[in-house]
Amino acid sequence: MDLGLRGKRALVTGATKGIGRAIVDLLAAEGCDIALCSRSEDEVESAVREIKTKGVNVSGSAVNVRDAEAYRGWLERSVAELGGCDIFIPNVSAGGGMDSEKNWWKCFEVDVLHTVRGCEFLVPHLEKSGHGSIVIISSTNALETFYAPMAYNAMKAALITYSKQLSQFIGRKNIRVNTVSPGPIYFEGGTWEMIKSTNQKMYDVTLRAMPNGRFGGPDEIAKVVAFLASPSASVITGSNVVADNGYTKRVQY
Amino acid sequence: MSKKPTDTRTEAEEAALRERSRAPTYRKVRRVEPTEGPGTPSAKAPDPDLGDAMIPKERYTSRGFLQLEWDRMWSKVWLLGGLESDVPEPGDYICTEIGRESILLVRQADGRMRAFYNVCLHRGNRLRPTGISSADTFKCQYHHWEYGIDGRFVRIPDLDTFPQGAPPCRGLKELPCDTWGGFVWFSLNREVGPLADYLAPIPQHLDPYHFPRMALTRAITVEWNCNWKTSVDAFNESYHVQGIHPQLLYYLHDLDIQIDCYDRHNRYLIPFGTVSPRVRKPPSIPDPIKSIMKTAGMDPADYDEPLENLRRDVQRHKRRTGASMGRDYSGLNDDQLTDDYHYLIFPNVTLNVHADDLMLFRQRPHPTDPNRMLYDVWTFELVPEGAERPARPKHQYFRHGDKSIGLVLDQDAQNLPGVQDGIHSAGLEGLWIGSQELRIRHFHKVLMDYLGSDADEAAAKLDGR
Repeated sequence: MDLGLRGKRALVTGATKGIGRAIVDLLAAEGCDIALCSRSEDEVESAVREIKTKGVNVSGSAVNVRDAEAYRGWLERSVAELGGCDIFIPNVSAGGGMDSEKNWWKCFEVDVLHTVRGCEFLVPHLEKSGHGSIVIISSTNALETFYAPMAYNAMKAALITYSKQLSQFIGRKNIRVNTVSPGPIYFEGGTWEMIKSTNQKMYDVTLRAMPNGRFGGPDEIAKVVAFLASPSASVITGSNVVADNGYTKRVQY
Repeated sequence: MSKKPTDTRTEAEEAALRERSRAPTYRKVRRVEPTEGPGTPSAKAPDPDLGDAMIPKERYTSRGFLQLEWDRMWSKVWLLGGLESDVPEPGDYICTEIGRESILLVRQADGRMRAFYNVCLHRGNRLRPTGISSADTFKCQYHHWEYGIDGRFVRIPDLDTFPQGAPPCRGLKELPCDTWGGFVWFSLNREVGPLADYLAPIPQHLDPYHFPRMALTRAITVEWNCNWKTSVDAFNESYHVQGIHPQLLYYLHDLDIQIDCYDRHNRYLIPFGTVSPRVRKPPSIPDPIKSIMKTAGMDPADYDEPLENLRRDVQRHKRRTGASMGRDYSGLNDDQLTDDYHYLIFPNVTLNVHADDLMLFRQRPHPTDPNRMLYDVWTFELVPEGAERPARPKHQYFRHGDKSIGLVLDQDAQNLPGVQDGIHSAGLEGLWIGSQELRIRHFHKVLMDYLGSDADEAAAKLDGR
């Protein structure tokens, strides 16, 4: 099945590692032009270099999305460089932690505000596309009790609500908005690789919760995201696709 | 038909093995520039040339060797007896054991410490049980022979019924005793040289930490099922971190370690607050490193810098805020504010020294069994100026594996009996030691300096091997 991604222009945040990186790799392989960002200059440079080998246009910048001005600069530059925007995937996250109240501000600014700011800036460009698509990355931590009452979990929940209402609000502009909620995803250099060493018990408990006995991988999430981002998912909007390898136990009616 | 086993490997196998087994490359950790003058020296000491021979494994299992260790080493050196803070008042005493001996370390009226064999000169009864207490006199429970806190005879009931009179001495047999670093030291060797000479250069290295400002927070003795040196070795190298402490790979640098061997003692300096080159850079600050930040008064949620700056930033933060938190770091260099300055005071005192805490292990041999030992853990925490000293924790005793003593030490403890068992196996020729384990080689060199070059053979003879 051809997803119809060839020639589409995608902006992806936090795209040098893990799920974000798998998403841009797959979108590029499907023929999308890519604009990406992450915090580390070195990582952006090597990601851009590697993705360029797939024969698509790629641009990238080192940006901390908490810095509203720098982030907006990247959005503007990216749209100009790609000549528009068809797909937006706000993927950056501040991650877990219960160190202090600052975790709440950090998760709010990084997970929520960067998504909202990106969507608001890009809506006019996505509208011009004719089949604009936003895929917001949430987490199963928003859906079921996970570990501890972390800001991360609550802010990921906020994204699901935002995504649904945004889909209603801008649906008439032919922009679809969906959320993907990945379960625990293992990759080299990822959180679960670290937890495997630093908290073996938590790792084992998490692994046992997956009926097929393995973690999901970033490439598996990327496939779900790519489908939702593509014109092939033309009938899907306002949905939250749980891609968790059976990790969550609730019945989803 | 089965083939005769072979012990050789081909050149191709050799090349493939080397290829698979290379140590990871890494960027050097930033360290302070060595300076002259007071403070803990940070300069690298030249590595001694100790060769690359196998260390004879019988040293860990032989009863003969255990005997020689006692005759030629334990009875000759200075030994750590206890804490000065446990005996503040005249008459306060520590009763500690080494091998078959039991020793009283007693605070005198003039504030000095003295050491005596804990044995009544009448028929040998122990005067006091092991532990910490206080006495006006030491009166034997058997026939009430009584000694002052200075060891002198006070009263011998019915002395007139001893035609030979009292034993021809002043009282309890005394041993050399001295203090350093808030600790009480004694020696079974009445001819031993001064403590300061024995410990050198350790006091110069560790006085800047001001151990007496730290309070004891935990005191544990565990009977471990291994030779005392099996335990000393386990703490003398960081090569095992990758094997049994995987969580520490997200806490410290286990390869860029500065090893310094001195005359008797040795140390290594382990950078903390950084990630091992054996693991990939994690996406967020690892929990173990967060604990370093929190102790320093930093909020990990408020830290947005790359991980590689973290160790330096913790050092700067502590330097900036230490005094206002009642923590005097003025005698310490920046690396000491984060890193583990890890010492072995020969023969048996392992110190994990940090600016805000000290974790000390004392490893004592079993009196008769080379496969057992006593593992003492004393942990201390710096008491901020003006803060109240916490109450002394109760000393806990247990046997190997009975109870958790914390994740890292449990991991070590769980591993050691397997090491001890394996050393007995005919499948092992001897200990195969690498350069990351130089301190083990140095420790054995010092041990053999005491025991003499004939000790391995002499032990075999004693064992009837």
